[in-house]
Amino acid sequence: MAGAGTLREALRALLPPTKEELTLQLGETVERSVVRLLREAVELFCGGRGDECLQASEAILDYSWEKLNTGPWRDVHRDWRRVYAFGCLLKAVCLCEETGDAGAVAAALRVCDMGLLMGAAILGDILTKVAAVLQAHLPSGKRPAPGPAQEQPHEKKARHDHVRIPDVRSERTVPRLRCPSLQHFRKHFLVPGRPVILEGVADQWPCMKKWSLEYIQDVAGCRTVPVEVGSRYTDEEWSQTLMTVNEFISKYIRDEPRDVGYLAQHQLFDQIPELKRDISIPDYCCLGDGDEEEITINAWFGPQGTVSPLHQDPQQNFLAQVTGRKYIRLYSPQESEALYPHDTHLLHNTSQVDVENPDLEKFPKFAEAPFLSCILCPGEILFIPVKYWHYVRALDLSFSVSFWWS
Amino acid sequence: MAEERRGSWFGFGFCGFGQALGSGRGRQVHSPEPLQTPGEDADVCRVSASWSYTAFVTRGGRLELSGSAGCAAGGCRDAWASEALLVVLRAGPGRGAGTELQAWAPGSALSGEPLWAHTVGPEAEGEDAPGGEPQAGALPLLPGARAYVSPRPPFYSPLAPELRARRLELGAEHALLLDEAGQVFSWGQGRHGQLGHGTLEAELEPRPLEALQGVPMAEVAAGGWHSVCVSETGDIYIWGWNESGQLALPSRSLAEVGKTAAGEASGPKEDGSDVRTAEGESGGLAPFIAIQPFPALLDLPPGTDAVKASCGSRHTAVVTRTGELYTWGWGKYGQLGHEDTSSLDRPRRVEYFVDKRLQVRAVSCGPWNTYVYAVEKAEG
Repeated sequence: MAGAGTLREALRALLPPTKEELTLQLGETVERSVVRLLREAVELFCGGRGDECLQASEAILDYSWEKLNTGPWRDVHRDWRRVYAFGCLLKAVCLCEETGDAGAVAAALRVCDMGLLMGAAILGDILTKVAAVLQAHLPSGKRPAPGPAQEQPHEKKARHDHVRIPDVRSERTVPRLRCPSLQHFRKHFLVPGRPVILEGVADQWPCMKKWSLEYIQDVAGCRTVPVEVGSRYTDEEWSQTLMTVNEFISKYIRDEPRDVGYLAQHQLFDQIPELKRDISIPDYCCLGDGDEEEITINAWFGPQGTVSPLHQDPQQNFLAQVTGRKYIRLYSPQESEALYPHDTHLLHNTSQVDVENPDLEKFPKFAEAPFLSCILCPGEILFIPVKYWHYVRALDLSFSVSFWWS
Repeated sequence: MAEERRGSWFGFGFCGFGQALGSGRGRQVHSPEPLQTPGEDADVCRVSASWSYTAFVTRGGRLELSGSAGCAAGGCRDAWASEALLVVLRAGPGRGAGTELQAWAPGSALSGEPLWAHTVGPEAEGEDAPGGEPQAGALPLLPGARAYVSPRPPFYSPLAPELRARRLELGAEHALLLDEAGQVFSWGQGRHGQLGHGTLEAELEPRPLEALQGVPMAEVAAGGWHSVCVSETGDIYIWGWNESGQLALPSRSLAEVGKTAAGEASGPKEDGSDVRTAEGESGGLAPFIAIQPFPALLDLPPGTDAVKASCGSRHTAVVTRTGELYTWGWGKYGQLGHEDTSSLDRPRRVEYFVDKRLQVRAVSCGPWNTYVYAVEKAEG
């Protein structure tokens, strides 16, 4: 097992070689006192005063955290997120400087992940590299103890309540096409804004064969991710929290979960580039206006029963199914009135109606609104046109990957 | 009639920039310590603390800055410190010249030209409190109550005269106003429930808190994302974000301490105590509260009346009629004054003042620290 010495060397090798380069170019938004504290923290770090550097890093983190929580997220100045990431970098490295024991490394990795989740890229995306080094230096116990690990997830199904599989034969289904040409897809689906299931496009992606619970835990088990707890995000008891992938799997997938937990809408593939190699960006995305870097790729990983309430998104969406099946219902933007969107700013893109159990007294027009539905299976990609209302329920343990593009 | 007893200031919490705060040992002070300001301390009547520096104003009109900004200047009646801007109210040059409002960059040491200046009319002369006790000060509300200053553009915001503002406090993204009749208004961002109107929606204009109508308030205080007011009868109402227990309501993050401490596996804590659960009055488990979007009445120990309140970013301090100080909320930098760095989601008395037989008369919180003015208890 690698000792503390090699870990320290590996981390130092990632840092800029000089004190002057261990710095951020910051604009006017970041106050002078913060710039001064950043410089002081670097001085302490380079001077080998780890404990004091940790103290200064904590203050940097706490102060920038407050800025990250002021105003709407999209208005948070990128420099504050960079300051936060810088604080995470110093803290993570300082935590490992003294000892390389598993506890310190796991703590440092958690800090790195916070920097990746809430911060912005600094020093050539250094936090991703530091995270990879830390992960490699964790002892082999990065997975939970063996035993039930070999068990197939499907065996758990017997303990769950009987899952309702909708009878989609009685509903209008989403059309399916096998590898349409770019032109055909553009002319018949993208431009007119019509949903379609694409077959034969994703079915050979490595993820289709590789992604088991075991593999996910191997590659990402000790990484911190955001998890949504609660039946649906429109519920009062719904909340978001952070935990490692191992904790998520053991609490919300394996051990007879009490609540529904959903690793939803998370850019996991930016955080863990190794997983990105198992997926591809559908060629059809090139039909849009944006660059490839602007495509947002999200992971959706959760047990049977997760629900995304009926809502619409401001971009085109390819939803690729990797593991398990999802029941999906689609309503055209033209039907918006019959879907009774919330009138608050926060939820104006979400319908008030519970799709599979609608209150038709309260929402009478909903009954007549036409829709398309499908059961999306592994290897298939569903095209959800921009602003198209969609409702999703997982029928099995499920892993999906979505691509938001314009 | 009580004779005027000279009091003194104490401080505790974050002092990572060397701002005067007790002895300033290390970067934090966990228990109240007598303030050691440069120059005369006994005379300080106003303390306005920003994150990296503190502004002290003496009765003699002397302004002292301590911390990341350091300087002294004369002719100041009031000061308001923020990271971006130091706002001072200064006697204008010459007799009868009225008062001037000046905004300075904190690092400028008040030399050269202010960033902007604004003459305030003579009718806006304020009075000091009887007994010479430190006043909460009017800033950021301007004398005349026609406008207020803020650290972000627009730096100078007018207020409708019919609001008859008595006090105004600013949080990270909201504002609270107390009018002459004791009615509380709020506006700004509402995502953390800090406006108190029962929703998470923003308000562009001052909106009265309907839930508090009919209960005249004596004080308002704004934290980073929470709001407090004290009624004339000594009750405390509180609302907003409770992520560190700053509302004195059960906080999930505090209950989870010990489970998620860095590097430790989950399990019972070393001393064998269980993770705390919140107990409701009926003995059942009360839910954790992350956001309280409308005012909640706070329970202090029976018989305690609150008279003053002040909030830091994520902590709350309250002075009682009998001269006690209670604090709760985020405690990581010792800003609660309980000799440790634990956060609390219930009010706790700061024992230092009781032990030293001191009566607390005023409190002024910086974002991560707390300044307290106290007098010695009369004998007999």
